[in-house]
Amino acid sequence: MATLDLDWEEVRDQLRAWREDNTRHSEEVVDTWEHCLKHYKTKLGDERWMVEEQVFVAGLDCNRLDIADPCLMALNEQFPGSLRVRKLRAMRFEALEKFDEAMEVYDNIIRQDETNSTARKRKVAVLRGQGRITDAIKELTEYLKLFMSDSEAWQELCDLYLKEGDYSKAAFCMEELILSNPHNHLFHTRYAEIKYTQGGLDNMEIARSYFCQAAKLNPGNVRALYGLFMSCTQVLSSPKLSAQKKKETQQLATWALKEVSERYSRCRTNTMDGSKILETLGALSITDKA
Amino acid sequence: MAMVWARLAFIVGILSLFHAGYSAAQHRAYLRVTEQEYTALPTDISVQGLLSLLLAMYGILHIAGDFKEIRANVQLQNKSWETVGNRPTFYTFAHRGRALSPNYVMPPSSSPQDMVETLPS
Repeated sequence: MATLDLDWEEVRDQLRAWREDNTRHSEEVVDTWEHCLKHYKTKLGDERWMVEEQVFVAGLDCNRLDIADPCLMALNEQFPGSLRVRKLRAMRFEALEKFDEAMEVYDNIIRQDETNSTARKRKVAVLRGQGRITDAIKELTEYLKLFMSDSEAWQELCDLYLKEGDYSKAAFCMEELILSNPHNHLFHTRYAEIKYTQGGLDNMEIARSYFCQAAKLNPGNVRALYGLFMSCTQVLSSPKLSAQKKKETQQLATWALKEVSERYSRCRTNTMDGSKILETLGALSITDKA
Repeated sequence: MAMVWARLAFIVGILSLFHAGYSAAQHRAYLRVTEQEYTALPTDISVQGLLSLLLAMYGILHIAGDFKEIRANVQLQNKSWETVGNRPTFYTFAHRGRALSPNYVMPPSSSPQDMVETLPS
């Protein structure tokens, strides 16, 4: 394919935005690099090395070693002996599934620089890539003992516990994340979902209040609204519920349902009928109370 | 274009402010030489100082860029779990997306059944 008709400055800004937002977009990064930015890399100035690193990781992610290798070579030439570049080389081993070699490089980096957190995190990723989830959890808990405020690592640990089906521990990790970022509605939603999955009346009530909080933080979070509806119906299905509580929960459920159906009717198309949505939502509910 | 005007306003404002200060100093020096009692600054100097301050403030407000929302959760409003739950330092590359690459080579295996078993979960 010939050079796409793209403005290289626009592409650079887009890549920068992706880098700062921590979004993945590996395929797009590789494509725009290949068809546009590659020809302007000398114009990037000091930002070039950040872009090369980004493209390298994206290239590994898409299994495009033909894209990744030149970037690694350029970085190696620019920063010989840099630990960060050595980490990238180990990531290349990972992509080639040479896990032992990668592990060795990471161990070397840690020996040289004990405070290097990325190498420790990569070791967890290596174990995960091999499918050794329990080992990865062990490694990651060791890491979190040293670097307790790393929210990314807590997220990863939560994810690993979820993979293992250990919901109570996953919920604990999510609690840590909520503590570190109480304004993030997504963490609240996630926590509520974990509690909902655990089941039982107590957990359902916790899930309900966290779905409420998420919906309060971001009224546009439909997932939280729907979760609220679902957890309310679950709570209602419990026999040991006082009349007062029952009434409140009932009201909450109707409110959540109303909000969801309103959102749907606002972006309704001709093929979609608002009343149909309500029916479908009811049908999706796990508790069959009809 | 608006940016150019804002910059111009800022520069003119700062220069004019500097000029007002200089005039005030000159005025004090003049009073000392002519041995008059100091009462207040002449009106034109104070008005110039005030106006140029406003002009400079207008300019800097436009140069500094857009304001950020003061509420902490607004930036997260439009984020989805896809971005917030993405962890760049924990990327693993042994995923099924590899098979979409143009230079993907199928790993040698006797049957599809074996492949399923060796895939990392």
